[in-house]
Amino acid sequence: MRGIFSVLVENKDGVLSAISGLFARRGFNIDSLAVGTTDQRDISSMTIVSTGDERTISQIEKQLNKKVDVIKVRRLDETRTVELEMLLIKVAYSATNRAALIELCSVMGAKIMHVSPKYMIIEMASDPESIEDFIMLCKPFGILETQRTGTIAMAKK
Amino acid sequence: MNGAEAMVRCLQEEGVTTIFGIPGVAIAPFYEAIYNQDSIRHILVRQEQAAGHAASGYARISRRPGVCVTSSGPGATNLITALATAYADSIPVVAITGQVNSSLLGRDVFQEADMRGATSSFVKYSYLVKDVDDIPRVFREAFYIANTGRKGPVLIDIPCDVQAQKLEKAFSYPENVDIRGYKPTARGNKSQMDKVIETINKSMKPLICAGGGVILGNSETEIRSFCEKFNIPLVSTMMGIGVMPKKHPLYFGMLGNNGKPYANRAVSGADLLIIVGARVADRAVPKPDALEQRLKVIHIDVDSAEIGKNLGPTIPLVGDAKLIFRELLNADIHIDTENWIRTLEEFKKNTVDTRVFSEKLVNPMTLVTTLSEKMDDDGIYVADVGQNQLWSADNYVMKNGRFLTTGGMGTMGYSIPASIGAKYAAPDKQVVTVVGDGAFQMSMYELGTIAVNRLPMKLIVVKNRYLGLVREHQEKVYQGHYSGVALYDYPKYDKLAESYDMEYFHVDSNDALPEALDRFLSCDKAALMVCDVDSSDKTK
Ligand SMILES: Cc1ncc(C[n+]2csc(CCOP(=O)(O)OP(=O)(O)O)c2C)c(N)n1
Ligand SMILES: [Mg+2]
Repeated sequence: MRGIFSVLVENKDGVLSAISGLFARRGFNIDSLAVGTTDQRDISSMTIVSTGDERTISQIEKQLNKKVDVIKVRRLDETRTVELEMLLIKVAYSATNRAALIELCSVMGAKIMHVSPKYMIIEMASDPESIEDFIMLCKPFGILETQRTGTIAMAKK
Repeated sequence: MNGAEAMVRCLQEEGVTTIFGIPGVAIAPFYEAIYNQDSIRHILVRQEQAAGHAASGYARISRRPGVCVTSSGPGATNLITALATAYADSIPVVAITGQVNSSLLGRDVFQEADMRGATSSFVKYSYLVKDVDDIPRVFREAFYIANTGRKGPVLIDIPCDVQAQKLEKAFSYPENVDIRGYKPTARGNKSQMDKVIETINKSMKPLICAGGGVILGNSETEIRSFCEKFNIPLVSTMMGIGVMPKKHPLYFGMLGNNGKPYANRAVSGADLLIIVGARVADRAVPKPDALEQRLKVIHIDVDSAEIGKNLGPTIPLVGDAKLIFRELLNADIHIDTENWIRTLEEFKKNTVDTRVFSEKLVNPMTLVTTLSEKMDDDGIYVADVGQNQLWSADNYVMKNGRFLTTGGMGTMGYSIPASIGAKYAAPDKQVVTVVGDGAFQMSMYELGTIAVNRLPMKLIVVKNRYLGLVREHQEKVYQGHYSGVALYDYPKYDKLAESYDMEYFHVDSNDALPEALDRFLSCDKAALMVCDVDSSDKTK
């Protein structure tokens, strides 16, 4: 199963490594990790997505809670959560499929950020599943490079 | 006031009177501040690992955090094994390590070691102090974190220049601690509490399994009273030895791999297991998953992450054992356990030990029994690691004393320095150390500390001329291919004792044992007793 954690931590040095170290040491997966500051300067927010059985996911929650620099851990319910991820993708095109690529972007709500004679850099912000779909649909054109930010998430209530 | 003086002030504010350590240039300002005061005594050990273990022994007996100090680099890295040991056993220790000047951090200069990084999985929390005015807050928090919730070691790494800097603000020791991410739970949740009481009331064959957390939470009295009031039997883990006197009618021994067969049969026979302050680690319960299918489990621990880590669905109760059992004592519980207790007594009576011990030399079981019976009622028995640890745990006759050992990490060489710490915490109590000939040689440098400070330590070396526990394993699993385990006849213990001004005793038969022990225990000064044990004697 998938566990999405929204974690508020002290914005101090060493905290990110303490958290990632915890995952490494206990053999927990990190599928995605996104870190940023919050509206309070001394607090950072992390969204961590992991997979594992129920015992593992609940251990992750407890072990995160145990960390002194972790202020709050929320395990988000997938069905009541807005998830967002950013993608930058460099896709090759030719004269014959150029229109098809532009069409795909507009259907999927992706934005073309840069066009050069051989490739385009496309940006997309969406839920992780749509991002996956979009990457798959880009494959036939030829993907030159991708960058993803990792998921950020917020509970609907 | 400079940083170092502030550090000393903080220790005084915490009521610290004894610290263990070894100086170096990176911690020199602190040692200068120690020199200029007289309420804190510094005990110079001979290797930094011993400073950590001594702080641990001190903490366990004084029931307050123990403090150790080292320099930077190798001095600090030498401490890591002791921190890992304290962490595994949840012992409150505050470790202060000197660090290179803050302007040089991260440049790999002489004797720089990244201590926060190196210890990250062995400490409960760590600080690198960069601002001298943070010292009071950091110390206040460090002692608080070490000694609350699930206890454990906390590291304060402090650059040399920060120790030497003048404080900008006037020194003030914070009264309260406010760490927003750290609020240990003390009281049990009310509805969980009700569920626990209801479950106990439904049970016919309840059993308490007490771990080291009971002792760390100072809750022995409460748990004993609870068992007595409701007639509930108790078994313990190795770290829980001492929760009940051995001869208590409701005590059914240590469970686990190396425990009493009747304690394990009690676990198999129970319909409700109440685990308190124990990790349910592999050495105590080899197949925890099999347990949970059979019986109901209530798991009480200060550390919520401990619950359900090794054992599946249980009734969790997070909180401080002392408070919880105080409440449970007044709960509406009425169960009849007469028959169950009778069954357990039967188990106990019908257990026969089929092990054969060499009759020519000292029987290690007899040694432990005779020794612990002869010890003062409130004496402290410190056991090392190896075969001797298992014989100690199995045969120690707990009266009103303490049994110290490392169950979590099983660090050879723990016992001698931990005993030194224990002795400083309770100078009037008898402290006896039982150690194998292998571990003795890993820690015998501490005879220097014992001699210089004229500590009347009582050390017993169980001499089987081998790294016995590994030898036993090689005998069983590798057809007696003894690989890297022979110690032979060194050192010459009589000469060693003489060179450190210790009384020396040598026992090589059961017959000579009682009288030798009497003389040994009544020595005014430090004494070393070597007991010859056959290398083929087994723990199982
Ligand atoms: C520091 C450390 N190194 C290695 C081990 C592995 N080990 C466990 S028991 C043991 C043998 C201990 O020998 P000794 O101290 O003579 O005790 P005995 O088993 O003979 O009673 C060893 C090497 C350990 N527990 N700790
Ligand atoms: Mg030995």
